[in-house]
Formats: sequence, structure tokens, C-alpha cells
Amino acid sequence: MTDRRVSRLSAVQGAVRQLGHPFVLLLLVLPMAAPLQGQTQIHTEINPNQATPVVRIAIPHPETVIPLEEYNDAFFAPLTRDLAASGVFAIAPIPPNVAVNGDLVKAANADFLLALKMRQEEQDYIVEARLIDARGMTISEPFRPSAYRGTAPALTRMAHTLASNLVRAFSGKTGIFLSQIGYASNRSGHWEIWLMDWDGANQRQITHDRSMAILPSWSPDNDRMVYTRFAGGRSEMYIINRIGGGRMSVPTALGLNTSATFSPVSHDIAFVGSVSGNPDIYVVRDDGTNLRRLTTGYSIESTPEWSPTGRQISFTSGRSGTPQIYTMDADGTNVQRISFDGAWNDDATWAPDGEQLAYTSQVNGRFQIRIMNVITRQSRIIAGEGSNEQPTWSPDGRWIAFQSNRSGAWQIYRIRVDGTDLSQLTFDGENKDPDWSKKSE
Amino acid sequence: MHKLFKGFLTGLLFLTIVAIPACKSKKTPPPKVAPTETTASVPPVAATTTETQVTNPPDFVQTETQPNVTVTTLPSDIAELNRVAEERGYLQDAFFDFDASTLSSDAQAALTASANWLRQNAQYNVLIEGHCDERGTEQYNLALGDRRANAAKEFIVALGVDAGRIRTVSYGEERPFDPGHDETAWGKNRRAHLVIVGK
Repeated sequence: MTDRRVSRLSAVQGAVRQLGHPFVLLLLVLPMAAPLQGQTQIHTEINPNQATPVVRIAIPHPETVIPLEEYNDAFFAPLTRDLAASGVFAIAPIPPNVAVNGDLVKAANADFLLALKMRQEEQDYIVEARLIDARGMTISEPFRPSAYRGTAPALTRMAHTLASNLVRAFSGKTGIFLSQIGYASNRSGHWEIWLMDWDGANQRQITHDRSMAILPSWSPDNDRMVYTRFAGGRSEMYIINRIGGGRMSVPTALGLNTSATFSPVSHDIAFVGSVSGNPDIYVVRDDGTNLRRLTTGYSIESTPEWSPTGRQISFTSGRSGTPQIYTMDADGTNVQRISFDGAWNDDATWAPDGEQLAYTSQVNGRFQIRIMNVITRQSRIIAGEGSNEQPTWSPDGRWIAFQSNRSGAWQIYRIRVDGTDLSQLTFDGENKDPDWSKKSE
Repeated sequence: MHKLFKGFLTGLLFLTIVAIPACKSKKTPPPKVAPTETTASVPPVAATTTETQVTNPPDFVQTETQPNVTVTTLPSDIAELNRVAEERGYLQDAFFDFDASTLSSDAQAALTASANWLRQNAQYNVLIEGHCDERGTEQYNLALGDRRANAAKEFIVALGVDAGRIRTVSYGEERPFDPGHDETAWGKNRRAHLVIVGK
């Protein structure tokens, strides 16, 4: 803490200090951090976003004979975008006419430069990456020089991998740049399950049911998704792998079979099942065996979501007269009401830290994304235009993806948890039900 | 009625625990009910799909609900039959208030007319779709639509239509009848919609 406070003061004074060890170069802080100065340490633990130091990094184009148009869009641009969005790095503008060495680091007022060499061997591209400090020395800690090899279609993946490794080196947490967002899109003429990269690139269809496939949810190993398929006047759960193969049903003999979500720690799937018009939270193994009912009573229960440890399940219930968020232990006991604001709350989903819930909350007649700390019960709104629903956390807890109809059609957006850096990720047809993969890679 | 419903619930619950069928595709028959003392009111769900019912000859049906028309020709094509059934008021949808699944007197009147026609045309099975307006959230609305569809089903069964002829599904807010964004549209979209699905 002391180091951080010192570094913030340094940043305020505009003083650039070389603190010796490259890991301790703390020259900027995120905007979030400023209002929280002088508060207790508890707050810094609530939000993993706010205390992260920012490393200034200069990224000149690679040393290569490969033409710019061959590597820029596929490799260099996504690499730069990833690092700029990481919250761990700030991109230092590169001054003209300075050799790519320690002088560049100083002239750019940076901590490091990312030196890239790129060459081609037959079909493969090979990228070598190292960090050079202000003395012109290649560092080996915290980031070790590394090489990445792949064919042209793999270039973007190589960029995301390098960016994730850089983020892990300086923050201790792997970057999210290889994570995937599953969602439902009707752009093919039917609602189908689609996937995209974290930045909205590489959108691809993985179901071809040609009926109505919605509400995808990732397995904890990122290999499979469970979703709800409507066909022949029934709605049923199906599992599919991330390349669209291995489709299998999860039979339950119940109605609905909606809002399915994999346990983070077992083969269980929590979902909404219904008997005679009484929707409740059920759990079933992913092979359709060992069906258990977790909620009882005649009110509507919906929208279960496991806590990251698998010990708790959040859900929506109409038992108070309006849809509100509740939590319970994974065996159905210890039910607690979480939401009290607004006449309609739904879509609760746990942050990776297990201490925050994001959910859809009605505010002044419109739906907004609300983030609540389940320990302090304090909440805040990430305000936006239109109706904003179905939040999902990035694996590092820094971002929320959600759906909004602010453009006149449902589209998926991404925003930082502090409410900055909004991007629209989908544009074709209508797109909804985003679910961010749980692991970074 | 309450006792019957309870028995039905118990039976279905038993079904969920005992008979977990392997549904590999939509052609797979639905679960059979295990024989127990509680299953008398839980007949197996009919396995009909709209795609397979297009080649039947025309049917002549004696109707008593339309006093001026004693003999009515019903189309054999299911889509056409549904259009005629809606146009002539044989099957009438039930409409609901916001975030509600209770049947108003209008809804009960509509379902009574539907039940009368279904009793007199016992060869047809019906799918009741639960629908919601766009103002709620997608996931909760799917559950709410399920409750609406089943409220309609229960009412029709209480009027003497065999429960085995009726299936339910909830589309929540996924398939609105009116794409508008005002109370007129919302009112049309909060409904239990009755669809003939074959014999």
C-alpha cells in the first residue's frame, strides 16, 4: 500500500522516478483510483481494477521485411489494442527519428519498449518479443523474451497470446485476450449460438439448429456450452463444444429447461425447470442424471448462477410480489434476498472475486446494469441509454459485456466495470444473451 | 380441482425423478409415464409435430357451438386449420395483465370457448404457448410465460378437455405478435396462444 501511495503522489507531481526494479514502475493510476484515495484498504480489495499500476510501454512496428499490410490488421493492431485496453499498460507515443533502443524508451517517456522481430519460414510466421528498458537492456523479469509461431490465420491469436502473457507478467493475472464471448444471434435467419473474440472480432456461428437456440453458457473448462433449444413446441437443454460439434441433449422431462449454467466445480448444470407451470431452480448432471430440485413453493424462480466456488447459487424469485435477486447455498438452503431496489431485477451473475453480483435492475422504468457488493450490500449503476440487460463478467473481472437495445435493436456491448470505455461488439442482425468464458485462455 | 392438480403435480414430479428419457433428437418420443397409483391423471404427452400432419383427408365435423352452422368443413392442412380456428373463434387466446398469470373474466371466457371446441373436436391436440411483453427481462419472462401457458391449460382441463391432448411451451418475449413498443402492442403480446398441432 505504501508503495502505491507514493507512486500516486509521484504521478500527481509529474515526477518520473526510476525505482530500480522494473516491476515497481508505477507512474500512472487508473481514473477509478483517484476518488478512493484516503479510504480504507477494504475498498481496494473489493474492486480489483482500481489499484493496478500502469506500465508505460512503447510499441514500435516489428523489425521485419514482411509488408505492413500483411501483419498490421492481423497482428500488430490487435496487440496494441489489447495492451491499451489491459489496464496494466499505457501505450507511449513514439517520437520520430529515434533509434529503437534505450534512447527510444527515454524519449517516449516510457518504462519499456516492446521490441518485435517478425520473419516467415514457409507458411509460418515467427514473432520474437522482448522488453527493453531505458538502459537499453533486454529484461528477463518479469517478462522473459519469448517467440510465437503460427500460420497466417493464427496471427491474431499469436497477438492475443503475447498480450495476455505481458499482462500476466506485470499483474500476476493472465490477460483476457484469448477469452471468448458466447451469444445468440438471429443474423442467419434463426436464433443460433455464436462466438466472438473479446474485442468483437472473429464472429462465428457454432449451432446450425435452424430453430431457436438461445441463452448459451460456458463450461468452466471453456470447452463446451449449454444452451436452450426450442423445436417442435418444446424447449430443451443441449450441450455443444466450442467448434460446434458433439451436440447432445440434457433430458430432464421438465418444462422450460432455460437459463442453464454449468457448475464451476462439478458436472452439474443449474437451470429453470417447470412442473405444471411452477418454475423452480433445479440441478442435473450434464448427462441428464441425478435431477434435484433446489427451490420449492409456488412462486416463479428463474435465472440461476453459480458463485465462483460453486458453494452458492444466485437466482431470481417472484416470491415478494416482484422479481428480485436472492442467493442460496448450492443445496437450496440459506436463502437470502439480495436486491431491494426497483420493481424488476433479474440476470444476476457473480464477479470472479465472488464478492460482487452484476444484475439487471429496473431504474426509473428502464433496465440498467447494477453492480452490488454482496458483503456490504452497497450497489452502483452502470448507466446507459435504452434497456440494458444480461451482464456477464470478463474472466479478470475488469469488464462487463451486456445487451442493450439503445440502437433500436438488441446488440452486445462491452464496458469497464467503472463505466468507461464502452464499445459495441455486434452489428449484424440482433444479438443477445452474452456469456463470457470463465477462463482467460 | 385442487386435489386433482396436486395429483397431477405429484405424478409429474415422480416422472421427472423416475423416467429420465434419452432424448437424442426431436423425433424421439416423449417420456412414458411410469405406472404408479399417482399417475392416473398424467397421460403421456402426445408426440405430434406440425411437419408430419399434412396428408390427412378433409374432415366433417358436427359442431354445436355455432348454432347457425350445423356442419363445418375443417381444412386438413394444419396451418390453414389454425387460421380458420382463429378466424371463426373456435380457439381463442387468453390475455394477461403485466407480470401476471391470473385469468381475467375475459380470459376465462376465451378459454371456455376454446375448451368447448376442443371437447367437440377430440381428434385434435393443442399446444399452448405462453408469451410475454418486452418490458420484463428475457429469462424471467420465459418462466412467466410457462406459468401463463399452464394457467390456461389447467382451466381448459378443468372444463373437461383431456390433459393428455394439451402440451405447453413458453416463448417468453421471444416471439411477439406485435413488434410495437406501446401498450397496444404489449397487451397483444401477453397471452396464452392456442395452436392446433394435429391429431
